[in-house]
Amino acid sequence: MMEGRGYRRTGFILALVWFFLSIFPLYFVLVTAFKPPLAVSQGPTYLPFVDFQPTLQAFRDAFAGLRGDFWGPIVSSVLVSVTATALAVLLGAMAAYALVRFEFRIRLLSGVIFAIISIGGFLLLNGLWGLRVPYSMAIVLVLALVVSVLANRLPLPGPVMKNDDVTFWFVSQRIFPPIVSAFALYLLYTEVNKLGLRLTDSFPGLVLAYTAFGLPFAVWLMRDFLATLPVEVEEAALVDNIGRFRIFFGIVLPMARPGLIATSMIVLAFIWNEFLFALLLTSGKWQTLPILLAGQNSSRGDEWWAISVAALFSIAPMIVVATILGRMMRSGLLTGSIK
Amino acid sequence: MRSSAAKRDGIKHAFLWPAFLVVLLISLFPLIYALTVSFQTMRIVPPTPPRFVGVQNYAEILQSGRFWGSMWTTTVITVLSVVLEYVLGFALALALHHNVPGSSLYRVTFLLPMFLAPVGVALIARMIFHPYLGPVNDLMRALGLGNVPFLTEPNLAMAVLIIVEVWQWTPFVTLLMLAGLQSLPAEVFEAARVDNVPAWRRFWDITFPMLLPISVAVVFIRLIEGFKVIDTVFVLTGGGPGTATETLTLFAYNEGFKKFNIGMTSALSFTFLIVVIVFGTVYLALAQRLTRRYA
Amino acid sequence: MKKLLLSAALTVTGGAAVAQCSPDYTGVTLTVSTQNGPAIASALAAAAESWEARTCGTVNVVEFPFGELYPKFLTAMSQQTGDFDVIGFVPAWLPDFAPFLSTMPAELQEGSDWEDIHPTYRERLMVWNDEVKSATMDGDMHMLNLRSDLLDNPEEQAAFEAKYGYPLAPPETWPQYLDQAEFFNRPDQGMYGTAEAYKRGGQQFWYFFSHASAYTNNPNNPGSMFFDPETMDAQINNPGWLRALEEYKKALDFNPPGALNNGSGDVRPLYAGGTVAMNLDWADSGVLRATEGGDAAEGTVRTAMLPGSTEIWNHKTQAWDTFPEVVHSPFLAFGGWQLGVPADSANPEAAWDFVKEVISPAVSGTAIVTANSGVNPYRFSHYDKLDAWSSIFTPEEAESYLGAQRASLDAPNVALDLRLPGFFSYTEVLEIELSKALAGEVEPQAALDAIAAEWDRLTDEFGRDTQLAAYRASVGLPPLEN
Repeated sequence: MMEGRGYRRTGFILALVWFFLSIFPLYFVLVTAFKPPLAVSQGPTYLPFVDFQPTLQAFRDAFAGLRGDFWGPIVSSVLVSVTATALAVLLGAMAAYALVRFEFRIRLLSGVIFAIISIGGFLLLNGLWGLRVPYSMAIVLVLALVVSVLANRLPLPGPVMKNDDVTFWFVSQRIFPPIVSAFALYLLYTEVNKLGLRLTDSFPGLVLAYTAFGLPFAVWLMRDFLATLPVEVEEAALVDNIGRFRIFFGIVLPMARPGLIATSMIVLAFIWNEFLFALLLTSGKWQTLPILLAGQNSSRGDEWWAISVAALFSIAPMIVVATILGRMMRSGLLTGSIK
Repeated sequence: MRSSAAKRDGIKHAFLWPAFLVVLLISLFPLIYALTVSFQTMRIVPPTPPRFVGVQNYAEILQSGRFWGSMWTTTVITVLSVVLEYVLGFALALALHHNVPGSSLYRVTFLLPMFLAPVGVALIARMIFHPYLGPVNDLMRALGLGNVPFLTEPNLAMAVLIIVEVWQWTPFVTLLMLAGLQSLPAEVFEAARVDNVPAWRRFWDITFPMLLPISVAVVFIRLIEGFKVIDTVFVLTGGGPGTATETLTLFAYNEGFKKFNIGMTSALSFTFLIVVIVFGTVYLALAQRLTRRYA
Repeated sequence: MKKLLLSAALTVTGGAAVAQCSPDYTGVTLTVSTQNGPAIASALAAAAESWEARTCGTVNVVEFPFGELYPKFLTAMSQQTGDFDVIGFVPAWLPDFAPFLSTMPAELQEGSDWEDIHPTYRERLMVWNDEVKSATMDGDMHMLNLRSDLLDNPEEQAAFEAKYGYPLAPPETWPQYLDQAEFFNRPDQGMYGTAEAYKRGGQQFWYFFSHASAYTNNPNNPGSMFFDPETMDAQINNPGWLRALEEYKKALDFNPPGALNNGSGDVRPLYAGGTVAMNLDWADSGVLRATEGGDAAEGTVRTAMLPGSTEIWNHKTQAWDTFPEVVHSPFLAFGGWQLGVPADSANPEAAWDFVKEVISPAVSGTAIVTANSGVNPYRFSHYDKLDAWSSIFTPEEAESYLGAQRASLDAPNVALDLRLPGFFSYTEVLEIELSKALAGEVEPQAALDAIAAEWDRLTDEFGRDTQLAAYRASVGLPPLEN
């Protein structure tokens, strides 16, 4: 169409410009990984063999573990991120489905009751009676949940929270600045450690924290994607008396594939790059890539070649993921799946 | 009828509770801990026994110029970056959706910045914007502008921080808007084309409104995450000069992890939480109204 | 690989392998932690190899980003997690860490190895509250790094003397330092006068302290550099500090562009690559230039003690004291990495044995001449072995390098770094106000007054008496008689 062409050209130029802006820093990183120190300290250089003689020294140093164990964090990051992402997206999509297809009514007062019992109970058990943190928490959690769920059945006065508020609650978990939560979570984990269940510097501990970390995104994003799905297909299945879980896994999820993939990628990216919790909750065995990357910012100064190598390895698996995703996102492959 | 509906509805709990429990498990103790500590003076160095002081920490924060300064800085950086990210990201998603030449390559490369750890992006940005050894100033020198003090002049430093954030997070918007675009039913657009609706109207009257829900979600998430920006600032400027580029999370980080003033940090975190929740609720209410009007 | 060969060799030398473990720590695994390598971590890894061979124990070296070391160690120790058996940390953190560290066993505090450690480290840096809580594994101080290709050049010498009226030589006073920086500041030739750190969060305050020690560390009033040793009033806004700040700021004119954003790591490659004529830094700059400076830098490294002054501020008389000769007050910036054993470690004996291995004359003697080890001399035996440096330095370079360090340690008016509980609280306001003053946003005196006010407030908040006692201990003064 005629008037489409002007927009297409603008779009093309925009995409091209953005392409160069995105790529140039990455190109610079790639090239810097091969630079000898003088090629950095004497001014910017851009072209290998023209501006400077490339060398593999930075790579050799990295593999030899000169600036920290190299392979451990890579393995660690991959295992933890993939597992946590899978769990977060699965549980998050389930929760999102519930929020989209059903109605929840939670009285504010029962929420307040929960808060009072959990906070007050914890202070009582741990502060006054000196019961250990994990036990206090467990008791308080169960008690508060049971009481507030029962309380919800009663016709209590006050406003009622609906689905949107529940979603908001999930997302609000992300607002809290991670400083104190990381410290407090570390405290909790070490307390549980003392009881014999190893949570710090362990796979389960890290995956648990990261799943909780990724759930708010998963819930929030999947909720919008699932909301756009036509409800008739499910209702038809319901009439045929197919169970909800089968509907969910057999019909809904496949229909929501673009959203599912996009959400998984977002969650994966966030977990892959998370730094603060990884720093506190890991020690020698499960350190992840962001810690290795931060370690390149050493007091010896910005050794740009070392930073570049670490950054390259940090992004390499992600390039694979992005490529796979990019292929799947080709328009036409997925839009037709709805019909 | 009632009982089977209730039984049908009962399954909703099986869907929701696993997620709910996991989040609760991880977040409840830190919340309780932070809340109780925020009403005490608790320092680990020098080791002082905690003392209950009521709302003194909160009062100190609300009266602290440094707190309000960091709120202002954080707000400016976040709002400006998110606006830019949204506009750019949406435009790029449209371009990709309509398959401009090179799309298959772009689909991969556009996503990359988002997958780099923020601390990595910050280090790379430090390389690139280095006043003497970096490419950007090389370009500036070539253009005759001399060595621009990108990281030491407060306004320029803020601009650099915004640029870095936009560079890294526009892919986030692009990805989600693209997924949204691809989920739109095709026949609405076909009908509009048959009716000879011009492209501009097609966009404003059909595409944009239908994508409002996802737009709201994307902007909201970016705002919340953006408010916590710390790595970029930490590496590029250290919060300086003075406290000109100090964001809230950096302020909290220094209080909590350098000075180990846990009581103050907790109070800071809660104040921040309240502010953002208030702001978020207002935002969502406005967004609801906007969505309802359009859709 | 080496470990494998080593242990294979040991087993091959007979079933008497068991007798090789002395003392026997089979089955013991030590977790040793410090900043990301190669500096310090590689030295620990090297010591680990020899220790494992000797004792049949195992060592696991865990590294963390430097910026996160303090919170990581403090959270682990304060919660008594037993995560770490040995930690490599910064001496300025000793007051905060001391309650959680175990004391060095008495056997390590005697003998010729003990005496070999320079007394400035042995009796002052490693001690807190009269107990030896840590072991120096590295000696750090700020020095001037110079270039012989400039200083020994006859044309430069003639031109300099013509312009300034005295011979070109390593600067003895700070005004001389500024003169030289100005002389060599030639932007059109791509060379600048000097390089110092100015960035907030880039360890800049140590550079500021180095300027200040010459004017504030008065030999007539020992320990009065940072605080009044009797009242704990902050001294940081006295005229001595003001002069230091003005000179520190003046040096910006002779730094490469963008110096305001330079951290300590940035000044090294500038000197190594020849972009600047000299710099103020730790010993790393010299080694870096010698190993990575390229052919143009061959043999040109010279090191000198920090400039001093003939005038030092006297806080009691509120006037300047003049001295007939230049008094050098070399500043032991940073102090040098320390090894400590957390009190909650599960293997304290083995841990201290490992510490002994790392600081032993043999192991440390190799570490100081190993590139990238990050270990600088701190034992008498280190300074005497000039030829051990031949792989890095020419003989003249080695002599200059070691001579400057030894002279700094031996100087009668050597100035120790600030060590106080709540260190980061004090330095945070210092960094903020300093960066404002450097950027020209506030006047130097106003910035210093603001710092002094906040320091006094912090002292009161932490408890003036405890802080005073801690400060007196850190500068080697006996407790106040009451």
